[in-house]
Amino acid sequence: MPSHAGTPLIEARGLTRVYHRPRSSLTKPGAAVEALREVSLTVGRGERYGIVGESGSGKSTLLRLLCGLDRPTSGSIRFDGREITGLPERRLRFLRENLQIVFQDPMSSLDPRMRVRDLVAEPLVALGLPVGGRVAELLEAVGLPAEAAERYPHQFSGGQRQRIAIARALAPRPKVLVADEPVSALDVSVRGQILNLLADLVDELGLTLVFVSHDLSVVRHVCETVAVMSAGEIVETGPVDDVWAAPAHPYTRALLAAVPTLEGLL
Amino acid sequence: MLKVDGLTVRAGSVELVHDVSFAIGPGERVGLIGESGSGKSLTALSLMGLLPEGVAASGTARLGDRDLVGVPESRIKELRGREMSMVFQEPMTALNPLMRVGAQVAEVMTLHGRARREARARAVELLERVRLSEPAQIARAYPHQLSGGQRQRVMLAIALANEPGLLICDEPTTALDVTVQKQMLELIAEVAPALLFITHDLAVVASVCERVLVMYGGRVVESGPIREVFARPRHRYTEGLLAASKLTPRGTRLPTISGSVPPAGRFPDGCVFRNRCPHATPACETAPELTGDGHAFACWHPAD
Repeated sequence: MPSHAGTPLIEARGLTRVYHRPRSSLTKPGAAVEALREVSLTVGRGERYGIVGESGSGKSTLLRLLCGLDRPTSGSIRFDGREITGLPERRLRFLRENLQIVFQDPMSSLDPRMRVRDLVAEPLVALGLPVGGRVAELLEAVGLPAEAAERYPHQFSGGQRQRIAIARALAPRPKVLVADEPVSALDVSVRGQILNLLADLVDELGLTLVFVSHDLSVVRHVCETVAVMSAGEIVETGPVDDVWAAPAHPYTRALLAAVPTLEGLL
Repeated sequence: MLKVDGLTVRAGSVELVHDVSFAIGPGERVGLIGESGSGKSLTALSLMGLLPEGVAASGTARLGDRDLVGVPESRIKELRGREMSMVFQEPMTALNPLMRVGAQVAEVMTLHGRARREARARAVELLERVRLSEPAQIARAYPHQLSGGQRQRVMLAIALANEPGLLICDEPTTALDVTVQKQMLELIAEVAPALLFITHDLAVVASVCERVLVMYGGRVVESGPIREVFARPRHRYTEGLLAASKLTPRGTRLPTISGSVPPAGRFPDGCVFRNRCPHATPACETAPELTGDGHAFACWHPAD
């Protein structure tokens, strides 16, 4: 596939997504809900881009659109210079190869009846790529022993399961890793291990990272750029250190003030 | 108010909570922190007489002059919801989806002998007290019609209904957004009588409580005034937790605790933390006692 070095990797313009509530009357259609309103964003190659918002802010809707799992009501998304909106699944192969996702809860995103070997190899099999020694290579990269391949997800702790999910996402050598609240379900002693691992992998493999979180302080540790979402819109965007030091939008200020910190209390 | 002495919880031959002792005075707010699998929820459930089948508590726990451990369910039932009550993490599973929330608040009062009509009226007052706007309308709503934050306020109204002496909150804000969490924490601190507050979030506990108990592997490994414990942790586990809770600037490594919390029954003998502790020596094969006045810790090689 040609790579357009000059163009941004992900470019979204004017994304709107309207959902319809189920109808509650025979004569009237269900109410329309604008989950996303005119959202535009640009993610550069190798950038670490954070998306922050609370439940109902539209961040999950935006993520589904960026990953080609849903279609916007209007607007466009270009991935590596190619339009992905409106394409049928059979023409999204380039996106599936190049963009992979790590979800919040590895217990529900990993099939409990599959061995780790098959879980990690599944994206390769689905894309018709050779598996070879890739599983062992990936397990080593995420810090799991080779024996892990023969075991099932329930035999691992939460942090180890998230390592499996990361190995699986990296299998087809994607350019972009999308991480949706990857550490929110983890204990604090393990959170650092996973964030360190993600940072290492992003560096070593030259990945572009889209990192979604409700916690601005985690995004500040991981990302360079942040977009703050509220009520279906991006209300503020910019270098994360600027947004952290001088939040411009009232919602960002409220969000920052609400985060409990140890430093402020002791 | 509450005095717990040598509380031990077992499931068959596996010890899940070992020899936990602490006290909560009237009006005092005590935090119980630890990661999942440390035994903090089991400690709370054994006080409420809500341990699951096959899990049994021993030792003593007294609320005022009433025993809580080893007494029949009929005795605990009189206290639960009246002298002590609990707010759980998941309001969606703790509330009855088929019952209007006003009726659920009233139920806990009629169960303890209040007249139905009076209970209904007081339910609306309670919903107002937990700062739900339009409490009369909320009382007629079903749980699914409310937001997560509103549901958790309803849970708090139920817990406060009979003016209990002790409130136990188990991760009450973990499922909430940060802005909603902040309001909820302020409300809990304001309305709680004596409070036992369970959480894995160190910053949250520091914003609500005065004293803290740190649990790991079913034991209290450190306890004391929160400012002292957090400013100068002595147990290596507390030290590690505090370090891991602070997010360092981008591009730097985050401090971590090596390994992960073992499953129940797989903690090492002696000091429960020694297989993850960078300072462990053969001395740690013997279990250290929790010692110290005020600020106590159980560690052979404490931090300075």
